Amino acid sequence: MTQDNDPLSPVEKAVRKRRRWLWLILVAVLAWLVYWLVAVNQYVVAQKSEQDHFLHGSIGAETANGLPYWVFKALPEIYRDKLGNEGWGRFGLITRDGDDLPLGFSRRVVSGVERVWFNCSLCHVGTYRLPGSDHQYLIAGAPSNNLRLQEMIVFLIEAGRDPGLTPDALMQGIRDAGGDLSWPERLIYRHLAFPRVKDRLQWVGERLAFIHRQEPWGPGRVDTFNPYKAIQFNFPMDERHISTAALNGASDYPAIWQQRPREGMNLHWDGNNDSVAERNLSAALGAGVTPVTVDRQAIRRIEIWMQTLPAPRFPGPIDAAKAQRGETLFARHCAACHGRGAPLGDRPAGYAEINAPGGGAYGAAYDARDTADCAALGTDREYRAAAPDTPRASYGEGDFAYPPARPYDYDQGRHPCLGQTVALARIGTDPGRWQSYTREFAAAQNLLYAGYPWRFHRFRKTDGYASQPLDGIWARSPYLHNGSVPTLRDLLDPPRARPAQWLRGSDELDLARVGYRSDGAAPGRLSPYDTTRPGNSNSGHEYGVTLRDDQKAALVEYMKTL
Amino acid sequence: MNPDRSFPHEENARVIFAPLAFRNLTIKNRILRSNISGTFDDYDGHGGHARLNWEEKFAKGGVGAILTSFTPVAVRGRILTRYAMIDNDDKIPFWRAVAGRVHGHDCKLIMQLSHSGRQQDLGGVENLHRKAQSSTDRRDYFHGILCQAMTRPEIAEVVDQFAQGARRAREAGLDGVELHGANGYLITQFLSSGINDRKDEYGGNWEARARFVLEIIRAIRAEVGPDFHLQMKINGEDHNSWLYPWQKPGNSLEETLKICRLLLDDGKGVDAFHVSSGATFPHPRNPPGDLPMRDLARWYDGMISQGTRAGFNHAIFSNRLTAATFRAYWRWRRGKVIEGINLPYARAIREVVQALDPAIPVICTGGFQHADAIAGAIRGGECDAVSIARPLIANNDLPQILQRANGPEPRRECSYCNKCLINDLENPLGCYEVSRFPGDTFEERYDAMIAEVMSVFHPPAFDGPVQQEARS
Repeated sequence: MTQDNDPLSPVEKAVRKRRRWLWLILVAVLAWLVYWLVAVNQYVVAQKSEQDHFLHGSIGAETANGLPYWVFKALPEIYRDKLGNEGWGRFGLITRDGDDLPLGFSRRVVSGVERVWFNCSLCHVGTYRLPGSDHQYLIAGAPSNNLRLQEMIVFLIEAGRDPGLTPDALMQGIRDAGGDLSWPERLIYRHLAFPRVKDRLQWVGERLAFIHRQEPWGPGRVDTFNPYKAIQFNFPMDERHISTAALNGASDYPAIWQQRPREGMNLHWDGNNDSVAERNLSAALGAGVTPVTVDRQAIRRIEIWMQTLPAPRFPGPIDAAKAQRGETLFARHCAACHGRGAPLGDRPAGYAEINAPGGGAYGAAYDARDTADCAALGTDREYRAAAPDTPRASYGEGDFAYPPARPYDYDQGRHPCLGQTVALARIGTDPGRWQSYTREFAAAQNLLYAGYPWRFHRFRKTDGYASQPLDGIWARSPYLHNGSVPTLRDLLDPPRARPAQWLRGSDELDLARVGYRSDGAAPGRLSPYDTTRPGNSNSGHEYGVTLRDDQKAALVEYMKTL
Repeated sequence: MNPDRSFPHEENARVIFAPLAFRNLTIKNRILRSNISGTFDDYDGHGGHARLNWEEKFAKGGVGAILTSFTPVAVRGRILTRYAMIDNDDKIPFWRAVAGRVHGHDCKLIMQLSHSGRQQDLGGVENLHRKAQSSTDRRDYFHGILCQAMTRPEIAEVVDQFAQGARRAREAGLDGVELHGANGYLITQFLSSGINDRKDEYGGNWEARARFVLEIIRAIRAEVGPDFHLQMKINGEDHNSWLYPWQKPGNSLEETLKICRLLLDDGKGVDAFHVSSGATFPHPRNPPGDLPMRDLARWYDGMISQGTRAGFNHAIFSNRLTAATFRAYWRWRRGKVIEGINLPYARAIREVVQALDPAIPVICTGGFQHADAIAGAIRGGECDAVSIARPLIANNDLPQILQRANGPEPRRECSYCNKCLINDLENPLGCYEVSRFPGDTFEERYDAMIAEVMSVFHPPAFDGPVQQEARS
């Protein structure tokens, strides 16, 4: 029957037309929904505890800079000749039993592909071993002493340039890494993920071409701002535009505990910002987020955790009498710029007992003394703000549990120089890090997040380096901003007497001198540190260098208690 | 409505059963059977014998006059199939037969000349491939029935169809005609400010919107002369926004009053007004009552092919939750008054038209079935007569009941359930409220109900020996 003889009625036509529209709208809505679910919406793993969120929670770095999960897993297989059996561990990354990603890596599904990249803990998990022990203690929030970020960046750049890194090599690497991909995933990896990764790595290689002209950062150090200039702002980084001194600004990672009392202090080594939140967002940019992809809620969660995160307690024995003598010296020579711990009180006897290695006997005795310490501090507002937040028992979970350090007095009224910058000419430490941060760069930073209420506005160029609180200072070796002095005891020597060439990379503690071992016999993968190279000078900070040896020993003993 | 119970029933009956004189017609009492019929007739609009039985039931029951059901002046203006039409002279013999049956009981017969416009519930195969005619291109918002705005030649054609319908009614011996200008049909579609969106001389202000019906009245008068009874059914108010508040409300009472004055046409126009309300059919106010959702789920399905929204409506009616919600909304939009719901409008119209011409009676419709209510309305000057449909379906002899009592015994009263209305889509018209029928069990009551409904087919067309034996 032809249409001529069996047409639809007007109602049927209208209903069919409407139905077509409905289907069209439905299909469009479904298509949009699928597009949104796959291409727009991102998926992260919600971590139950704050610590897990810090260790593996995503802050949004994967979106713009992340590697697809299986690319990340395949690279150590493809470059087994370079990385050996250590894989990513070659760069100081720590993968715990049961984890498929190293600490400091988070995952996020972006555009339907799971990607992995850095989070805050990459640079802020420290480790230590007690002398003669193989057991590695982990401290969340301590400066990373193992991360060889420069080496990892160079590795990735070279992978990007390597003609041998082909789709076939990638797919074989994925198989070798245990990846059993479905055919759509294989298609995505081969035809979408691979070219993008390759392009991105080559782009990073172009932007960070200067990295080959830099001195080795070594383990536990980072050049914070030069890559930042190149990647965020496209600053020219060739020889004509940046001096050798400014090019070598590698510094130690900082500890991130007890951030609430640090609010308002000059943060970063050169004190270029006094807002903890702004400093955190800026650091997140360093980890790979962009102003568009940043996950502010995730960062905020870490920020809140960091506010009251306690510093860890020294894990070795402390000579209480000696420490008490050191307390006096500290008050005289150091406290004005660094604050001080809560007064040790008049019951130092039990201190050595409870401070046995491993902190096992930590408990009631500490609580009682702590209470006394609180009372002794009296009306100090800063102290009272911090003290109730300091847990009395073990802090952290699992491998990361540790006994917290004693309360610390961050009062800038009592310690007028605390959190202030000290002019470079006066402090005399290496100028590289200070020079790497320029006015032009500060101006550019203050344009970041333009259009948002959290637009940066606190960055500024300072005249030197900032004095920091020394809470948990034993866990922050080596010392000075550039990590040029291995131990606290070395720092009390005049610069010429400090070790000139030494080895970084061991995490075994020297419990007497306080700091990681830096001798050739120390366990671990060691890297030479030459204080004569640009950015590595161990000069300056000549405070306490004229004290007698017993006084220096007492001072070091006291600093163990912080 | 405010029935005055201080009057004895005899006094009420005296008021109700007093004759009512129109200019050209006198009826024996104040009760008219309102326009209602079932789908009893031949598909092509020729009347059937059941229709004769149907109209005779009410004439025999004692009403003063019968308004025929919606009688299309053209097949394009039908609302349901199997309704007798007046579109052609070949229908005159049937209507002559109806008039004969009705007149035999001292009852007058007035033909309701009608055109569905876009409110064409079941247009039949003749209209399958045509959009309905209307004042507008906008589809009916309840069922989604498609329509197109009539051109001037089409308007002229329809005006003539009304005139020819009136002529045929007169030739068939009927006692008058009524124009169905209420409840959303074609004349309402022109009159209502909520529907008529024309930009020509038939749309705009109230006077322009009334041009169409005024032309019909003048054409009818030109065709049948000034001495043939002509009355107009009209909405007191349109309440066009009852379902969707964003729809325009339609005509207000003030506009209706102006239109009524206009339709008197200096004494050459209509002889009476019949007052209803509601710019759609059905409408919460017309017929006022309940909404039988289960019956809608059962019998509304035939409408699905008729309007673009009917499928959606049927889905609403078929789901218990949405059905209950719709029913509650319907009842809320109706209000609390059922019996005499339109009396305030009737009073206003009566005051206005009788101020100009006291010989123009006003008939009011809306749930009447009690003598005190009817007599109270007449006595109070709210109307001169009432028209009744559903209570007469429930009790064909309601006038006789009202002679002796205030109303039917409670169990036999019309419950205003509106099941008759919904069943009419697919079943013979009758009262489908089972609880009104005698019997101890549901089956007994249901059988009694069916017997009553089917009584319209008796006597059958061919009265053979079996039937004669049964009657003897």
